[in-house]
Order: sequence, then structure tokens, then C-alpha cells
Amino acid sequence: MECRLSVRARVSLVLLTAILTLTAKMAAAEEAVVLVVGIDTTIEEISLLDIRKAYLGISVSLGGGTVRPLRRDDDERLNNIFMQSVIAMSERSYERRLLSLMLRFGTPRPEEIDNRDQLIRRLAERPFSIAYMWKSEAEADARVKVIKVLWQEH
Amino acid sequence: MKPFDRYRFAVFGGLFLLVTATASQVAQAESKHDFLVFLSADSFETFDATDPALEGSDYGVTSDFLYTFNSDRFRFLAEYIWTDEENEMERMKAGWQINDQTMTWLGRFHTITNYWTTEYHHGQYMQTSISRPGLEEWEDESGPMPSHVTGAWFEHEFPLDAQTAVNLTLTAGLAPIFEGDELVPFDVLDPESGNEMAYSARLVYRPDVLSMDKIGLTFSHSDIAVVSDSSPNLADLNAINLVTIGLFTSWKLKDWRLSSNWVYFDVDMDYVTGIVKEDFLLGYVQAEYKATADWTVFGRVEFGTDEDNSQYLQLFPAVITHRHMLGVRWDFADSHALTMEIADTSTQGSDGNHDSFKELRFQWSAVFP
Repeated sequence: MECRLSVRARVSLVLLTAILTLTAKMAAAEEAVVLVVGIDTTIEEISLLDIRKAYLGISVSLGGGTVRPLRRDDDERLNNIFMQSVIAMSERSYERRLLSLMLRFGTPRPEEIDNRDQLIRRLAERPFSIAYMWKSEAEADARVKVIKVLWQEH
Repeated sequence: MKPFDRYRFAVFGGLFLLVTATASQVAQAESKHDFLVFLSADSFETFDATDPALEGSDYGVTSDFLYTFNSDRFRFLAEYIWTDEENEMERMKAGWQINDQTMTWLGRFHTITNYWTTEYHHGQYMQTSISRPGLEEWEDESGPMPSHVTGAWFEHEFPLDAQTAVNLTLTAGLAPIFEGDELVPFDVLDPESGNEMAYSARLVYRPDVLSMDKIGLTFSHSDIAVVSDSSPNLADLNAINLVTIGLFTSWKLKDWRLSSNWVYFDVDMDYVTGIVKEDFLLGYVQAEYKATADWTVFGRVEFGTDEDNSQYLQLFPAVITHRHMLGVRWDFADSHALTMEIADTSTQGSDGNHDSFKELRFQWSAVFP
């Protein structure tokens, strides 16, 4: 049996496809990685240089305390983006740097957390902690606040 | 270094527990323990030697345990090495971070004038090559410089701008003594062993604090007591006054890293018959080329000037003063490495005559977790 669409239906289908495509592109354009802190923190802003320092084991004081960086190890893509965009080194080089600092000075390595909810709890418990996450995750949780956009898909 | 004994272990163990427990009590908020194990297994063969007695082969396994504790501004670090030949608490120090730029430590630590030592300590996996430069060998491996000091450490970083800094480190503590044919570090279980004082300073320029690049000056003054009856070579020797002035660098240029340390020795040896003065220079340059993410090719040249006929160096059984070494390292599985090295090596001699031999080394190294 032959199935023929009317001109009106064809136009509607084309428009629908165009709208869906555009919506998907807009959603993709909003994909971003942000730096977050607990809602009760006294840290209001932090420079990219200070973020890099904190994650590279250099002591950074802000808002009356020492910044404590937290890492995510439950999202490989998020980690890769953070390493490339913020730390500017490969994961292996970064791990080696942390090992070197610990061996030489006893510098603590950033705590690694494998669960987003646990990460958010840790941010709430420790007011000078910082972490990175997807913007959509951060916006969906009232316990954290975004203080910097680290990466945005163009 | 002396063999393991239960009393030393008990003292260090007790001290470790005391410091950790105290720190836990004073910790107001967050504290963090961290533990690393550096493992390595290596074999070497010496051949084509001028003296057949220098030829041979051996293999060994080394475990290096690193424990750190951090709580607010308190910091504790302990490094314990365990090999098939020795066991020793290499470092044990407690520190207080006064502010972001200033740190103080008390305890036993590696001498700050030894660049290689303070960069890699006993973490064999962290150093690209298998061998250490002769200049920076450990005390029980004919190392001519003190490696361990027990005392106080002060460190301050002067920021020049947001990313550039100058770092100053000062240490004062008990120097090793010279016993038998080696320098012997201060033994906490033998505080009456007659150790004199050692003072060191290090000034480092860091063009970018986010990188590992640095260039630095070092100075040390060590009064080394001599156990005259421990060796016929020391029979008429009362004391050694050792001054060193060094220049070191570690610099990365694209896929290359250059590391170098040059140390000028000024030695006064106080013999019964009078003081013998001498000076000489020892140094090395190591180049590493990162061919791929996993493969590194490296080489090192070591040499000295005016070190021939040095009475100080002749107190050690085999100070390596000249070495031409090439090697390759393969990194795999995140934190494992296989390394091979071949070298043409000479020991300190007299009137241009040196014992020489060739070395072939293989090593597996790793770090856990």
C-alpha cells in the first residue's frame, strides 16, 4: 500500500526536524565545565592561575582559609577536559607531578571522589574546598554555587 | 647506612606514632594520610674492567615506603627503605606551614645541597635513569657529600610576580661522622657519637612556579668528626672540614629536559701532622629526550677537575668521578617502567690513572597505589 504525505505534512516534518536539530545544537552549545564551591563558602572568586596552583599542590589562601582542591574520577570526559583546559598537561604528567610533590615535601594530593553526591557533600562540609563539574549538574543542585566557567563548548 | 635493628625501628616507630597521634588531636578540621610504595628490581653487570676485581654482576630488590600526614598547617613525612641489604628510616620530619610561602621542619632529612637527592630521594621510579650520579651517591655507596642531616629546616618563597619566585632554604643540624670508609649519618640511638654541626643554604630561581624548571645555588659547611681507630686510613686524621658550593639546574625545552649539578669542594683535613687543604670540582649533565609519551632516551656525562690525588676522595673505596652513560626507559601501565642503561665508568685515581669499567643495568620500577 502506498503511503503518501500531504504537502502540509511534509513541510511540518521538515520544520520539526529543523527545530530538533537547532535545539540539540543549542543544548550542546551550553555544555560547560564550571568551578564550584559549597553554598556557605567565603570564597567568592578565584583566578585561573590560583586554580592551577591549588591543583598542582601549591598552597593558595583565599577567603580566610587554604583552598582544598577535589578531583572527580567518575567521569573520564570531564576529567580530560579539566586536564586539558585548566591544568594544561596530560593525566600521566599531572599524576607524576603530584607524586613528586608528595615525595619531596609531603604535599597532600587532591582528594579523589568517585561520586557526585559525595563530592557535593564534601564541598558543603569543607568550606574552602573547590571542585569542577558540568554546568548542568551544578545548576541542578542548590548546595553548590558556580564561581567560574572553566570550559565551554563552542 | 647501618643494618636494620629492632631498637632503631622501635624508636622511630614510637616517634612516628607519637607525632601522628599528637597531630590527630590538634587537628581541628580535616586531616589527610597518604601512603606510597616505590618498588624496584634491578640487575647490573660490570665488565671490561682495568682491574678484574671490579668485574661482576648482582641483582637486588628495593622497597621504599613513604607516609605523609597533613592537618591544617601541620605536616609529617616519613620515608623508610627496605632492600635485600639494608633497612633504614631515611627521613622522618615534622613540619609547620607558617603561611603559603613559609615552611619549617624538624627531624631527619636529606641534605638540600644534593640536587638529585632532594628531587628523587629513594623513589627509584621517579628518576629517569637507574644509576645516580657519583657526586650524589648515598653515603654508604661512596658518596662524597653528606646525604642525611638531623636538625632544623626553614624554607621561604619570595614571589617576584604571579608565577615567578625565588626560594630560599636554610638548614642546620648534625653532620655525619667519618667511620671506616664512609660518612655515617647521626644515629638517634647513639647521641654521644660525637657528631658536629652542618649548615646548608639553597637559593632557587623558578621562572614559572607551575613548571619544574629551576636554577639554584647551594652552599654547605660541615664539620665532620672522624673515628680515627675505625680504619688504618683514618689513623692520623682528627677531623674534616668540608665546604661545598654548588650550581644546579633542571630545565625543560620542548621534549628535552636537562639536569645538572656542579659542586666545588673545599676540604681541610686535620691530620696529627697538620692541616691538608685541597679543592676540586665534580659535576654532571643529564639530558632526557621524550621520544613518545611512553619512551624516553637519556644520557649523562659526569666528570671532575683536580679530583685526582684528592686525599679526601681516597678515603672512600670507589668514588665514581667519570661516567658516560646512555639509556632508554619505557613507561607502561600508568605507573610502571622498564629501563636499560649502559655506561663507561671511571673511579677517582691518582696522576691520571683511573680504574675503569663498563656497566650494563636493567630495572623494573613502579609506584603504588
